[in-house]
Amino acid sequence: MANLKEIRGRITTVKNTRKITSAMSRIAAARLVKAQQAAMGARPYGERLDQVVGSLVASLGSGEGEGDGGEAGAAHPLLLKRSGNGRVVIVHITADRGLAGGFNANLNRAVLNFIRKERESGNDVVLLTVGKKGRSFFQHSGQKIVRHHDAPTLGDLVVKAKMVAAEVMAMFTGGKEGGDTELPQVDRVYFAYNYFKNVLTQQPKVEQLLPFESREIVNDERVLPVLEPGRDALLGHLLPIAVESRLQQAFFNSIAGEVAARRTAMDSASDNATQLIRELTLFYNRERQAAITKELMEIIGGAEALKG
Amino acid sequence: MAETTIQLDILTPLGPKRHGVVVPGVEVPGLLGELGVLPEHVPFITPVVPGVVRFRNGAESVRIAVGAGFLEVTRDNRVVILVERALEVSEIDANKAREDLKRVQADLSHDLGSIDAAEHRKLVTEQGWLEAQIRATQP
Repeated sequence: MANLKEIRGRITTVKNTRKITSAMSRIAAARLVKAQQAAMGARPYGERLDQVVGSLVASLGSGEGEGDGGEAGAAHPLLLKRSGNGRVVIVHITADRGLAGGFNANLNRAVLNFIRKERESGNDVVLLTVGKKGRSFFQHSGQKIVRHHDAPTLGDLVVKAKMVAAEVMAMFTGGKEGGDTELPQVDRVYFAYNYFKNVLTQQPKVEQLLPFESREIVNDERVLPVLEPGRDALLGHLLPIAVESRLQQAFFNSIAGEVAARRTAMDSASDNATQLIRELTLFYNRERQAAITKELMEIIGGAEALKG
Repeated sequence: MAETTIQLDILTPLGPKRHGVVVPGVEVPGLLGELGVLPEHVPFITPVVPGVVRFRNGAESVRIAVGAGFLEVTRDNRVVILVERALEVSEIDANKAREDLKRVQADLSHDLGSIDAAEHRKLVTEQGWLEAQIRATQP
C-alpha cells in the first residue's frame, strides 16, 4: 500500500515540474522571436562594417597605396602584432542563468580547451567574463578573471559592447587609455560566444578580436574606392567601431542563442516529463490492480478456510 | 547608361532603418563637412559624424538623425550608410532631447577639468547626438 502512495507522490512531482518547464519554454518562445529578429537585423550592419574594414586592412597588408600610409607609424595600434609578455585575454560571453541545455557548458568547455592549448604554448591567459554562468565556472576551475559584466540584454547591449570594447582596447594598447592599472597588458584579445546558427543549433566560437584581422580574405576584384580622408585617418575612425561591432554581434548571437537553447531544452524536458508520467500512471494502475487481486485472494482464502 | 537614381541603405546595429530605397540623391553629414551624393558617384568611403541625413522619397522629404559611422558608395550605384544609431523624426522626442542637451552642456561647461578625458569624450558624443536629433526635427 505504501508503494501506491509513493507512486502517486512521484506522479504529482513530475506533473509540477512539467508545469514549470512548459511555462519556461513558452516564455522562451515569446522572447525568441524578438531576440532572433534583433540578431538577424543586426547582421547586415556587422557584416558590411567588417567587410569594409577588412578590405581596408587587407589593402594595408598588400602595400597598395603605400604613399599615404607610410608616415603615420605604418599601422594603427589596434593592428599591430605584439610580442610583449605573451599574455592573452578571452572575452567569455555566456548567459546569466542556466537551464538552457548545453548552451553555457559547451562554450565553457570550448574555452577551457582553448586555454589549455594556450598554456601549453607558454602563454598566460586571463579572462573577462560577460554573464554569470561563465564566471562561476571559471572561478571554480581557478582561472584568473580580470573583469566581470553581467550578461547583456537587448536594451543595454550597445552600451555594454562599448564598455567591453573600451576595456579590451585599453588592455591591448597597454593600459594607456585612462591609465587603468587593474587591467593587465595583453598581446592578444579573443572573444568566445555562441553563434546563433538557427533555433536548434548554436555553435561555440572562439575568435580573435585584437590585433584586428579581416575575417576572410576579401578577394573581390574591385579597385579600392576613393577614401576621404586618407586610409589611416579612416581606419583610426573605423577600427574602434569595428571592434565594438564585433562584440555587439557576439552579444546579439549570445542572447538569441540563449533563448533558443532554453526553449529547446525546456521543450524536451516537458516531453520527457509527459513520457515519465505516462509510464508511472501505467505502473500505478498495474500495482493497484495487483493489490486488489491480492486482497480478493485473501478474502476468498479466508472464506474457504472458515467453510472447511 | 546614365543612372538617375541611387539605392540607399541605412543600417544600424538595431536593424536596418531603410533598405533599398530608391532616391534621386542623399545629403549626409561627413567628417569633412556636409556632402551630397548623386547618382554615378565614384566608389567612395568617408566617415559620418552625428547629424541629419536628408533625402527625397517620392514626394516626401525624409530627415533621419544619425550617430557616428561611415558612408560607402559602391560601384553598383548603391549608397550604404552604416551608423551606430539612427532615429526618424517621428521617433524623436524633441523636448526631451532639448532638456538632455541643456544638462549635457551644463555638465560640459561646469566640470571642465574635474572630469576625465573618457567622460568628456562621452559627453561630447552625447551632445552631438542630441543636437542631431533636434536639428532633424527643425525643417
